[in-house]
Amino acid sequence: MNRADRPGARTYLRLLGIFYRNSLAEELEYRVNFWANVTLSLFWLVWAAAGARVFFSFTGSVAGWTYHQLLVVMGLFFAMNGLRQAIVAPNLGKMSDYIRLGTLDYLLTKPVDSQFLVSLRHLGIYNWADLLLGFGLAGYGLVRSGSAPGPGELALFAVLIAAAVLLLYSLGFVLQTLTIFAVASEGADDLLRGVLEAGRFPVSFYGGFVRGALTVVVPVAFLTTYPAEALLGRARWTTAALAAAVAAAAFFASAAFWRFSLRYYVGASS
Amino acid sequence: MADLARAYPALLRAGLLQAMAYRAQVVLWLLTSLFPLIMLGAWLSVEREVGAVAGYDAAGFVSYYVTAAVVNHFTVVSASWDWDHDIRTGELSVKLLKPLDPFHIHLTGHLGYKALIGALLLPAITVLAVALPALHYPIRPGVWVIVAAAVASGFLLNLIMASAFAMLAFWSTQVGNLYQIWWGVGFFLSGWIAPLELFPAWFRAVARVLPFRSSLAFPVELALGRLDRLAVAEGFLVTLAWTAAFGAAYRLLWRRGLRHYEAVGS
Repeated sequence: MNRADRPGARTYLRLLGIFYRNSLAEELEYRVNFWANVTLSLFWLVWAAAGARVFFSFTGSVAGWTYHQLLVVMGLFFAMNGLRQAIVAPNLGKMSDYIRLGTLDYLLTKPVDSQFLVSLRHLGIYNWADLLLGFGLAGYGLVRSGSAPGPGELALFAVLIAAAVLLLYSLGFVLQTLTIFAVASEGADDLLRGVLEAGRFPVSFYGGFVRGALTVVVPVAFLTTYPAEALLGRARWTTAALAAAVAAAAFFASAAFWRFSLRYYVGASS
Repeated sequence: MADLARAYPALLRAGLLQAMAYRAQVVLWLLTSLFPLIMLGAWLSVEREVGAVAGYDAAGFVSYYVTAAVVNHFTVVSASWDWDHDIRTGELSVKLLKPLDPFHIHLTGHLGYKALIGALLLPAITVLAVALPALHYPIRPGVWVIVAAAVASGFLLNLIMASAFAMLAFWSTQVGNLYQIWWGVGFFLSGWIAPLELFPAWFRAVARVLPFRSSLAFPVELALGRLDRLAVAEGFLVTLAWTAAFGAAYRLLWRRGLRHYEAVGS
């Protein structure tokens, strides 16, 4: 294919528009389910906030976090988890079928980037409620803890949350790529959820080697703790720069891993 | 009854084989149940700052959450989703061809998984108990028989409770969600979030008479030597009473629901 034939960014945006209108139409057929999902999300949000309350019946702050500051982290955890369910999980869930049924052969022949097609084709509409509810809880925590982020803090937060989203996407995409070798992808989403689960609380909640492992081995701190610290005016630009570097590295590594793995993909039809 | 006795060995074998076929998923599932360890990490931070809370020091928290994680693997059930799936998709019709109550198929299916999980977890927890000084069980060896009985009866209660709930699937498509909320409330009352001693007295009183504690905090507290004879007897009595109540509800709803199902299906 010539360079000139390569689709540009505008084509990709147009495709995303078509894909997501399609997902929306599919899911809006089941309106009762939509409201049931929103109710459940709200229930789990209150559940999480009430569960964390138990710690604070014994102390005013845990590892330097008050209850309302903790709610900022938990709100962001909810939002990231909603994003995982909306973007990562639907595509990860389809991957097993792509390999088993040979759909991937067909996807690879399309004149657009294969990573784009396998990782962003489907969208879970329901889970956008989690995203909104999560940001709502974080906002409530911010107001109640008496912090009002200024433009500087918001800019830091924007960088850190963008890095967090990119990192989450990359981690999910690595798991998706692993399906080429493992075929079964059912457990992969559970694994990502398990990792993300640790982001429910700030990393300083966990002592000693656990904290080190959570930041270095699995960069959970970048997903929820650091963006929350930015909102609370505790983050520094060096952290944001590091987060951006880690997210970019993770993204390029996951893309490279995908291209590498495709060389080992033999196809269902061959 | 004699027919059931003949069918059980075959059903149990099928349950175990099914679990073996998906053993990779079982291992993955063991790895992903991180929630107790996350709560443990947070409580250890609290303990470092304010000292022991409600009689739980660092070793107490480690023992509680590690034991809770293990007990949970034995008592947790997926029956409400399994039933819901069977009823909604019509797969129940296939199970109805067999000359026994589908409850037994769900029970033996679960036992297969529990056997596999036991084979993985029991050696692991034994090694941990020897290697970790913080993980401490002060009970006499004979008491483990009672702990095993508590775990088994907690599992049975969970299965019967989930099955009774699932019968509502004959009339509604939202049973999975309803059960999720029921179970979410149960996470507090079962001692999954935190040891029940850390909650206010009124909350503990409520938890003691509800069916959730039977499958988690009761066996755990028993293994940690925190219960006297009276409390143990009370725990078993509560478990038994709820098992009977949900069992009766299951029978009633199953008969009614089946008539409804046939009416819809034909």
